[in-house]
Amino acid sequence: MAFKGTTVRGTVVKGIAMKQIAIYGKGGIGKSTVASNISAALNERGVKVMQVGCDPKRDSTRILAGGHLIPAVLEIYRDKLRQGQDAHAISLDDIIFKTSSGIYCVEAGGPEPGIGCAGRGVLTALQILKDLKAFETYEIDVAIYDVLGDVVCGGFAMPIREGFASEIYLVCSGGFMSIYAANNIARAVQRLARRGDAGLAGIICNSNGDDALERAVVPAFAERLGTAFVEFVPHSSVIQACELEGRAVVEHAPQSEEATIFRELALKVMENDTKVIPTPVEELPELEELYRKNVP
Amino acid sequence: MRCALSGAAQTALGVSDSAVLAHAPQGCNYLVDGAFSWQDCDYAQTTTLCTKLCEDEIVHGGEELLARTILEAKELEISALFVLSACGPEIVGDDIVAVCEDMQPQVDFKIIPIECAGFRGSQYDGIDIALEAMLRTLAANECPKIPNSVCLVAPHANANPTWIADLAWVKEVLAKLGIKVVATLTHETLLSELTNISAAEGVLQLSHDAGYKAVSYLADNFGVEPLCADVPLPIGLTNTRRWLTSLAKRFNAERIAENLIEEGERMVTETCRRRWPIARFFYRTPAAIIADATIGIPLVRFATEEMELTPALVALRSVRPEARRLLDNELNNLGIAPHVLYGTDVYATRRSLAEVRPKVVFGSTIERHASEGLDVPYVFEVVRPVRQFRMLNREYFGYRGILNLLECIQNEWSDRWRSKERRYAARW
Repeated sequence: MAFKGTTVRGTVVKGIAMKQIAIYGKGGIGKSTVASNISAALNERGVKVMQVGCDPKRDSTRILAGGHLIPAVLEIYRDKLRQGQDAHAISLDDIIFKTSSGIYCVEAGGPEPGIGCAGRGVLTALQILKDLKAFETYEIDVAIYDVLGDVVCGGFAMPIREGFASEIYLVCSGGFMSIYAANNIARAVQRLARRGDAGLAGIICNSNGDDALERAVVPAFAERLGTAFVEFVPHSSVIQACELEGRAVVEHAPQSEEATIFRELALKVMENDTKVIPTPVEELPELEELYRKNVP
Repeated sequence: MRCALSGAAQTALGVSDSAVLAHAPQGCNYLVDGAFSWQDCDYAQTTTLCTKLCEDEIVHGGEELLARTILEAKELEISALFVLSACGPEIVGDDIVAVCEDMQPQVDFKIIPIECAGFRGSQYDGIDIALEAMLRTLAANECPKIPNSVCLVAPHANANPTWIADLAWVKEVLAKLGIKVVATLTHETLLSELTNISAAEGVLQLSHDAGYKAVSYLADNFGVEPLCADVPLPIGLTNTRRWLTSLAKRFNAERIAENLIEEGERMVTETCRRRWPIARFFYRTPAAIIADATIGIPLVRFATEEMELTPALVALRSVRPEARRLLDNELNNLGIAPHVLYGTDVYATRRSLAEVRPKVVFGSTIERHASEGLDVPYVFEVVRPVRQFRMLNREYFGYRGILNLLECIQNEWSDRWRSKERRYAARW
C-alpha cells in the first residue's frame, strides 16, 4: 500500500486520495484488456481497485470475473422498476462484484443494440454508483473507467464531464484509423478539460504486431498531443491465451514478460501525477502527414 | 411559438371519435392539453393518453411501453388512435411506426403514427406533419368527385384563439354559395370525411402558416384544385370581397357573392355610422403589424385601406415561402414599402420597434410588453389576446370579423384615454 494517501493525486474521498482514471480508444483496440490487466496488476500490489465498464456490451470486466459477464447496474435498475421500486431499492451488493482476488467490478450496461440511449445509460449508472457512495464505502484507491469506443455523444463523455475521471489514457495501435480515433477523443478531452479537473495522462500502445511502425508513429503522435507515451504492450499469444481463459495476465501467466509489462504499466499509471490539456491535430491532412513522416 | 408536437396534437385532436396518445415525457404532454383547448375538445368525449416516459425508457427505449399503452386504449370506444412522438423517444430511436404496425392487428381502431418531435420545427411544421400523416394513412384513392364541393385545410393554424368562429363563417358563406364541405382538416372531423376527402373538387386553405403541403398533396394525388391561393384570407372589406369573388367565380356563383358582399359591406358601414368608432383619428399614423402570417398578411391591407394607417413595420412569426410571395404581392399592389421581418421573435421585434418607432402596433400581449418604453401609444391586441377572456368565439374573417377588429381598436383607444398616465403618453 505504498501509494495510499501519499503519492496519489486525485479526488479526496473520506480523507483518502482516490485516483480516478478513464481508458478511451477506438472500438476493438483492446481497452478492456489493458484496463483489466492494469486493475489486476494494481490489485497484486495491494491497491484497492474498482473497474467500471461503461459499455452496453458489459464485457469490460470479463477477464477479471473468470470469463463471466456480471449483471449490469442498468439491468438491476430495470428489474427494480418493474417491481414497482426505484433506484433507492438498489444496494451496493446488487451491483458491485468482488473477484476472488479482491478486485471490485461494476458494469454499467445499457440498451439492446439499435435502441435507446447508451450514453444516458452510462450517466444513470454512474449516478447510481455516486448516490450509493460506492467508492467511499469500499475505500477504493483507484477507480478505472473503461469507456466504449469513441466519445460518440455527450453520454460517453460523462465520466470526464461529471468529474468521475480526472486522468484520461488513450489506447491505440499503429493503425491510422486508430490514431485518427484517438485524436478525436483528444479533441473531446480538450473541450471537456476546460470545465473541470480532467486531463490527458498519456497514450498506451496496444500493438497489432507491426512493432517498428508503432514504436515510431505512436510516440510521435503522443508528442504532437503534448502528452506522454506511457507503454508499449506487444501483440502476444500469451495475452490472447489469457483472454481466452478469462484471466488477467498477472494471474494466469505471472512469470511471463507480458505480466512484467503490465506491472510496469500499472506502476506508471499509479505514480503518474501529470495530465495535460491535449493539443489535437485539427485537420485530417495534417494527421496524415504526421503519420507518413514517421513511417519507418 | 410552440413546437411541432403542439401543432400535431392540435391537428389530431380535431378528429372526432378518436384519441391521442403522446409517446412523451409527462411535461411534453402539457402541449397536448393546450391543443385540447385549442380544438375546443370536450373532456366527456375526447381522451388523451401519455406514455409518461422516464429515464428507463430513454436509456432502453420506450417501444415496449408504447405497445402496452396502445393495448390499454383497447377499452376506449374510438375509431382512431393518433400516436404522437416527442423529442426524447425520437432521439433514442423509438420506431413508433413499426410499433403501430405491429399492434394494429390487436386492436379494432385505426392506429395512425405521427413522428412530430419538437425539434422537427414549429407548431405549424407539426400541423403539416400531422396533416401529411393523416392524408397518407387515411385518404382513400380517388373517390368520385362531388360537384360544387371543397375541403378545408388548416383552419386551426390561426393566431385568433377563437378561430372556430372564422371556420363557422367560412362554412356559412360556402353554404350560401351552394358549395358542399366534404371534409375539414381538422375540426370535429369524422374519420369517414378524411377517407373521402379526394371527392372534393377544390381545396380552400384557411391559413397562411400551415397547410401548403396538404394542399399540394391533395392536388398532386387526387386532382383537388387549390382555390383562392393567390389572395389573402378574408380579413377586412377588400380582402373579403376579393376572396368571395375568387371563390364564387370558380363555382359560378358570382351573383350570390355580389349580394353577400353588398349586404356585408352595408352592414359594416351602417354599424360604423351608428356606433361611430374613432378610426379616422389614425389617419396616416405609422403602424407595425406583428403577427402570424394568417392574420398579419390580410391586416396589411386592412390597416392601409380601411384604417388609413401607414404600415411601417410588418413582422411575421412564420416564414413560409408561399406566404412571403403573397406578402410581397400585397405590398407591391398597395404601393407601400414597410420594413419587413420574417420569422421574428420577441428580441427581433423589440429591436425593429425601436428602429421604426410606430405609433400603433397590431400584435399580442407580448408586443405590448415589447413596446414598453418605446413611446408606442396604442397596441391593439388582436393576435392571441391572452389578457382577454372570451366566452364566445369571435371571428376576424368576413364582415362581422371587421366589426370585431374595430371593437378591439376602439376599446384600446378608450382604455388609453381612461388612464391619466397613458393619456399623457398618447399625446403624440
